[in-house]
Amino acid sequence: MDFTLNQDQRELKAAARHYLSQSYPLTLIAELSDGVGADGQAWPELLRQGWLDPELELLELALLAEEGGRALHPVPWWVTVALALPVYQAAGLPLPGPATLADGSTGCQARQQATGWSLTGQVPSVSQAGSVTEIVLAASTPAGTALFAVEPDGAGVSLTERAGVDPLRITAGLRLVGAPARLLLDAPATGPVLAAIERRWQVLLACEAVGVADRVLELAVDYAKTRTQFGRPIGSFQAVAHQLADSYAAVELARSLAYRAACVLADEPDQAAEAIACAVHAGIRAAVSGCEVAMQVTGGLGVTWEYPLHRWYRRALSLQARAAAGPDPLEVIAGELFTPAAADRIEGALAPA
Amino acid sequence: MRLGDSQDEGEFRTRLRDWLSGQIPAGVPQEWDSERLRAWSKSLYQAGYAGLSWPVEHGGRGLPAAYQAIYAEESALAGAPDHVNVIGLNMVGPTIIKYGTQAQLAEFLPGILSGETIFCQGFSEPDAGSDLASVRTRARAHPKGYQVDGEKVWSSYAHLADYCLLLVRTDPEAVKHHGLTCLLMDMRAPGVQVRPLRELSGDTDFNQVILTDVVVGADSVLGPVGQGWRVAMTTLAHERGTFGITLTSRLSAELDRLVQTVLTLGAGSDPLVRKEIAELHVQLQGLRFTGYRALAELQRTGEPGAESSILKLGWSLANQRLTALALRVLGPDAAFDGPQAFWSGYWQQQHLRSRTNSIEGGTSEILRGIVAERVLGLPRTR
Ligand SMILES: Cc1cc2nc3c(=O)[nH]c(=O)nc-3n(C[C@H](O)[C@H](O)[C@H](O)COP(=O)(O)OP(=O)(O)OC[C@H]3O[C@@H](n4cnc5c(N)ncnc54)[C@H](O)[C@@H]3O)c2cc1C
Repeated sequence: MDFTLNQDQRELKAAARHYLSQSYPLTLIAELSDGVGADGQAWPELLRQGWLDPELELLELALLAEEGGRALHPVPWWVTVALALPVYQAAGLPLPGPATLADGSTGCQARQQATGWSLTGQVPSVSQAGSVTEIVLAASTPAGTALFAVEPDGAGVSLTERAGVDPLRITAGLRLVGAPARLLLDAPATGPVLAAIERRWQVLLACEAVGVADRVLELAVDYAKTRTQFGRPIGSFQAVAHQLADSYAAVELARSLAYRAACVLADEPDQAAEAIACAVHAGIRAAVSGCEVAMQVTGGLGVTWEYPLHRWYRRALSLQARAAAGPDPLEVIAGELFTPAAADRIEGALAPA
Repeated sequence: MRLGDSQDEGEFRTRLRDWLSGQIPAGVPQEWDSERLRAWSKSLYQAGYAGLSWPVEHGGRGLPAAYQAIYAEESALAGAPDHVNVIGLNMVGPTIIKYGTQAQLAEFLPGILSGETIFCQGFSEPDAGSDLASVRTRARAHPKGYQVDGEKVWSSYAHLADYCLLLVRTDPEAVKHHGLTCLLMDMRAPGVQVRPLRELSGDTDFNQVILTDVVVGADSVLGPVGQGWRVAMTTLAHERGTFGITLTSRLSAELDRLVQTVLTLGAGSDPLVRKEIAELHVQLQGLRFTGYRALAELQRTGEPGAESSILKLGWSLANQRLTALALRVLGPDAAFDGPQAFWSGYWQQQHLRSRTNSIEGGTSEILRGIVAERVLGLPRTR
């Protein structure tokens, strides 16, 4: 067993951190959050940085997602890589640029005409629909659910942005009226691809959550070292220090679980449910409670709009909400632990009398 | 990054598992009195499973730390007990390897490995627990070396031990961490008196040790005189570091037992129980894979990663939560104990014992302080 990052992976992570910290200082993140919600110019640079290289394996994407969470990377890379990319890959088509994916299988119908496919229907919320080149949509056809691509500013497509808790990940309601669409994957291939995407986004979500937790811990620790009260740095008060130590523990456990889930999903996708569930549960919890501890430690300052902490808290809460769209991690785990096979395995050998 | 065993590791695991299953029959109640424990330690040694990661020149097998981890996992899974000389093997031995003279290496290491020389650790005193540097047990100059007077408490296995790694004050003038020295004291020397202390679980694993005019030879000093703090810290680093995987492996076996209990009692569909067990599972897997990361760092750099500092802390809290849940699952029957109780009171015993987890080997508060200061770089709290 050799459960650690290799040299290349460590370098990739360091390079990503360097790039993000240079490109996205807090002032810019705040400006984008309070304004347009995304950096619309950065895609070509991201390609140059290798963030979309086809050789990147899941663990490497996991590291980039983690760094993205740390930096609140304001480019729709996560939706592209976690959700849409596998569809283009399965179809053998090049990625057109940033892309997102939504499930319109119950609300959207696809119709085939002489000129090609067209879509009609609605999806209440499509993540980052306004910042991407193409929206990939699961829509119903007479043969079952198939996957299509539409352009957000194409004919027959209208988007209504919905205010969201995380302003860097704005969703939009999507309305399609006979919108021309490209068929990416036909009905029989769609089911397995969507199932694989569900596992994939859960792992990359857990990694992003770890990045969020890691960054807010760093923020809080830095603050605790410099802020003084009663004539000493607040980090020298145990009540403060111990909360931060517990946050540290939560981050490290979540990180181990996120890396493990990425490894298991890459190697044995059918065996990955338990590993993914652990990663999601621990990741979300580390991020949400890490932000809450950081807020406590930074006192009044930490709860102002001016101080950037709420940006990560908003990301953590939005990740928590997204995770809720997947299976309940604790139920997945309990389901595995309480199978009859588990009972057999345990029977005898481990039972003290 | 590799999750599974290498081929060699896999073969080692398989052979070990086969060997263990031949030694420890499945499903049979295990009573491990001290004689059986000694016999067990001897058979471990004979089968080549003692000192797996000790250097070959010191009688070990010189294997990477991963093999020790595999041993920990498989023995927990098989329900094997600790080596009777767990302190000698895991803590004192590595300290002697680092600081011992040639004569000390030759005198102690073979017996530690074979289980014939059992060690205890005499650090804590009535007034020096968390604040270990305030030990008062005095060692004064004596024609043969030192004469020791004082009192140690909570010394695990002192009633079985042949030797004690003793932390004493050799220089009463020096402040705190200075002026301390480590001694390898013969527990049968005149003036050493061991009084068992009973734990809340009813076990008598730890002791009070009264030292009255005990004469210890000059050749029994481990490391430089006055540098006992550094020596003791090496021991504690081994206690807290490499033990992590052993702890999580045990926790894993314990969670399996809890699942078995839940199924036996028909509580497997209780949503609160399911949720709580799943949360414990997440915690446990987090500790387990963090242990693997720390191990990989240890193999890569020679130092356990910073992550290892949270293993004991996380383990103690999870184990306490686990045994508390077991009692809740037992319901009113949790009031029973002894042969009438479920599994003869196994969970009652484990729960009572679990309360020591967050005290022994450094309290949770002290461990959080270590994380805060040494890992996060926060200012000292004193
Ligand atoms: C089962 C068991 C086996 C043991 N085996 C051994 C052994 O083999 N050899 C040996 O030498 N010792 C052994 N010990 C002793 C153990 O290391 C000490 O009990 C432990 O270090 C705590 O010391 P104390 O009991 O004096 O408690 P104290 O140090 O008096 O602590 C009491 C409480 O105060 C808190 N506290 C103390 N200082 C601080 C601080 N600075 N900040 C915040 N909180 C603080 C503690 O966390 C604790 O909650 C064993 C203990 C147990 C329970």
